[in-house]
Amino acid sequence: MSTQTKSIISWVVTFIVMLIITTPGLWVILSGFRPLQEILAKPAIWIPQRLTLDNFRAIFGIGETQIAIPVLAYFRNSIIIATTSTAIAIIVGISGGYAFARYRFKFKDTLFLGLMLSRTVPGIALSLPVFIVWARLGWIDTQFGLILVYVALNVPFTIWLIDGFFRQIPKELAEAAEVDGCTRWQAFWKIEFPLAKSGIASAGIFAFLTSWNEFALASNLTRSTNSKTLPVGLTDFIAQFTTDWAGMCAMAFIIITPALILTFIVQKHLIAGLTFGGVKG
Amino acid sequence: MSVLTNIKRKMFSEQATPYVLLLPAVIMILIVVLFPLIFSLYTSFTGYKLTRPDTLFKIVGFRNYVRIFSDWDFWVAFFRTVGFLAVVINLEFLLGLGIALLINKVTWGQRTMRTIMMFPMMFSPILVGFQFKFIFNDNVGILNNALQALGITDAAIPWLVDGWLAMGAIAFAEIWMSTSIFAILLLAGLFAMPKDPLEAAQVDGCNAWQTFRHITLPFLMPFAYIAMTIRSLDVARAYDVVDTMTGGGPAGRTELLWTLIARTGYDSANMGMANAMAYVSIILSIAFTYYFFSKLVAARRYMGGAQ
Amino acid sequence: MGLFSKLSTALLAGATAVTMFAGGASAGEFDGYTLRVKLIGGAQYEPLYTRIPEWEAATGAKVEILSRKNHFELDREIKQDIASGSINWCVGSNHTSFAPQYGSLYVDLNVILPDDVIGSISNNVNKASTVDGRLVQLARHSDVSNLYYIKSLYEDEKNQADFKAEYGYDLAPPETWDQVKDQAIFFADPPNFYGTQYVGKDEGISGRFYEMLVAEGGSFFGSDGKVAFNSEEGVRALQWFVDLYEAKAVPAGVPNYLWDETGLGFASGTVALSLDWGGWASFFNSADSKIQGDVGLIRAPKGSSGKRTGWSGSHSFSITEACDNKQAAASFITFLTNFDSQMVEARTGLLPTRPDALEAIIEESKAKGDDWLVHVFETFGTSMAEDAFAVPPTHLWIPISNELFPQLQAAIVGEKTAQQALDDAAAAANQLIEDES
Repeated sequence: MSTQTKSIISWVVTFIVMLIITTPGLWVILSGFRPLQEILAKPAIWIPQRLTLDNFRAIFGIGETQIAIPVLAYFRNSIIIATTSTAIAIIVGISGGYAFARYRFKFKDTLFLGLMLSRTVPGIALSLPVFIVWARLGWIDTQFGLILVYVALNVPFTIWLIDGFFRQIPKELAEAAEVDGCTRWQAFWKIEFPLAKSGIASAGIFAFLTSWNEFALASNLTRSTNSKTLPVGLTDFIAQFTTDWAGMCAMAFIIITPALILTFIVQKHLIAGLTFGGVKG
Repeated sequence: MSVLTNIKRKMFSEQATPYVLLLPAVIMILIVVLFPLIFSLYTSFTGYKLTRPDTLFKIVGFRNYVRIFSDWDFWVAFFRTVGFLAVVINLEFLLGLGIALLINKVTWGQRTMRTIMMFPMMFSPILVGFQFKFIFNDNVGILNNALQALGITDAAIPWLVDGWLAMGAIAFAEIWMSTSIFAILLLAGLFAMPKDPLEAAQVDGCNAWQTFRHITLPFLMPFAYIAMTIRSLDVARAYDVVDTMTGGGPAGRTELLWTLIARTGYDSANMGMANAMAYVSIILSIAFTYYFFSKLVAARRYMGGAQ
Repeated sequence: MGLFSKLSTALLAGATAVTMFAGGASAGEFDGYTLRVKLIGGAQYEPLYTRIPEWEAATGAKVEILSRKNHFELDREIKQDIASGSINWCVGSNHTSFAPQYGSLYVDLNVILPDDVIGSISNNVNKASTVDGRLVQLARHSDVSNLYYIKSLYEDEKNQADFKAEYGYDLAPPETWDQVKDQAIFFADPPNFYGTQYVGKDEGISGRFYEMLVAEGGSFFGSDGKVAFNSEEGVRALQWFVDLYEAKAVPAGVPNYLWDETGLGFASGTVALSLDWGGWASFFNSADSKIQGDVGLIRAPKGSSGKRTGWSGSHSFSITEACDNKQAAASFITFLTNFDSQMVEARTGLLPTRPDALEAIIEESKAKGDDWLVHVFETFGTSMAEDAFAVPPTHLWIPISNELFPQLQAAIVGEKTAQQALDDAAAAANQLIEDES
């Protein structure tokens, strides 16, 4: 078999695999642009006969519709909560990761393992106790309450990735800078931080996707447009007797697009970041 | 005054620095995870009913645990969860490995393909649940429609009703959602792979399989364990998927620990019991994570990492 | 002490309310007050809320809707609020099946509302809204299900002849559940066409089983306070579901069906008979439905005891004990259940709880020449008045239902016999009851 046929075969196989990966998701997104009768038709209508923005109009309450879903408020909440919690998780992660990478101290391994294991607690087991504590503190249905939870959710993994990344950077670089008269803080900022950027970016995208998509805790801790996020808003389409599939699919498109754009921008860093971040402990 | 300076000096002394740096992380975890868990541990020894706050102080000792351990349905759900995790995580690894190897080969349009590969990661678990509930619907779902249109079957296959099919459908959704994580981490591993050993192997006359088996795979294993650790950290996300697709039914055929806990705790309002179950499930998660994590540490040693 | 002071506040509030309601809401009555409410959301429920600004304008109060969710989520949210002691709202949407769970969360409306407001709602409905002698909710509309069928199937002469030959009696819309079974099996042609269908999970199947049990002459609870549904009648009731599933007369997916699937399934024209709620009536006969113009409706059939099935519930409003302005809350729920409000809901096909609104909507539909709606409201009105019964008024209904429905499903899909499944469910349910005491 020549190299050329080989590469053609691998290209074709790749294409088929990509098709399997994307089809279910694309079908949902496509359904967002089709009228409900066409989506639920039996036998199925495979080639869309009519593409429409009606589902989006209905969501945004344009024209004559019974219910508008406050999707702009959800969008705003999602953006604020996901970006803020990601930013904080990264700062906390840099600080913690740096500590693990650069210092020796008592209980280091225990602490590290403890942090990791804190992430294993299933959301459903956490939801009620957190709810009760939050209620006492008045944090229910606030963006702050959810941000705090997401930071805690993301910190273990962020620390882990960033820790691995700092280890990649030879200690000598920062030490040399300190010899040259930089403070430790300056050495970190000028030398180590820029080198760790890819790792930080990949930690960031994971944290962002987790916060952006999280449902189990958000559905318990949010109440209204003050703090409801897009995934929680998805359940607005389920009434007692009916589910508005078309509206839900349109909403899916709204949820996915920002995440997709962001990932596309950051993905180069993502691979680079992961390459070194986690493994070379 | 002197105490304060003393503290200040301690704070900034080299010894205290790591603790100060870790303080924010630890505080976060304490507030969000540890305090609530202590509370729920307490309630697991009470007959706490969600709708009756006074039952919070009705201590029942180990009754909830005794009930759980003697409850056949609970053990079925428990072992189904363990089996589900074992199957799903292994399949995700194999598929992720395959995808990573493929993409690594492809030279043209790789950036686009990497983004496509990560496409499912953009989907919220709840959305994945709805999506596959819709696709696997026995009447109007596109899967049955496609099978019928292609003439493969003329029956309406009850994907979400038959025990094995329903577990299979859920596993498919879960694998679709999470294989990306394996693929991307393994791809990162392939990128990081030094070229010399591969070339040396070729010179020594190893065939493709031998090279893969003895050089590529061992190098990739730490990446695989990272992915598995991450996945087992996150595995309870499957709750959203299962709850949406089948809610654990029908007849408890797809009941996993998480759906059982949610129904007992919220719908039946029996929080004390639910928290006792939750504790068993937490121990299960910790065991899974700990297992992969120790594998990871061992693999790191094998690779001769910095530690 | 706590109970006593609560009681006296309630009495006091009640006394004020009575005087206040003598003349109805007066302008600026609650100027500057913000009423916090949690309402059920969804297409069927929202049109009523368009009337809220009217109430705001009339009283000077402002309504803040804290949440607007479907009932299952609202239920979870309310339970969490109770658990965390954060009842900082006044009015909540409620439902007959859920109401008994909430204990003392909601006030006894008998104390707060004047008699004429309560009396304007049908007696039957109020009876079902009463838990332990307390009227905990004021109903806005009722749900009861009746049997929809595809007319042309019954008019087809070949069907009539074949059916008579096979079963020995004339093919006509069924009077009894046994006839439903015969006809469903007769019409079924899986996977393209099914005889009937039923909701197969959650409280849906528990409620359907419960109404069949009652129609078979059985009862859910025995005189000893324990459950009694694992009786001979119970087995007969459950066997009906099992037989249809075995005969493939219902879609194989029914154990996963809720109202969504049954409603859309019937509208897709692939099911001959379907017991469903009144809220679907307009949809079934609309352009969105494949069976427009071909839908028939009869009262729910009878079980072997001669009693008709009639599981019913009402959507309603309740006022919390913790409410800081019960008069405003009372005025609000009175407004949302008054004649004009119920007419708004009735015009979308929902069944009013006020007899005068039911009469008026029938007259209105007659005047418009809408024979279908007239028939719908007459049928549902009759079954509401004569057949309807609610779930047992105990806070254990939902927990017991959660033990019961997986067992019902196990019998339906053939994992257990009906007797075995019911015995297992009864054992689990009795344990719940024991734990209470």
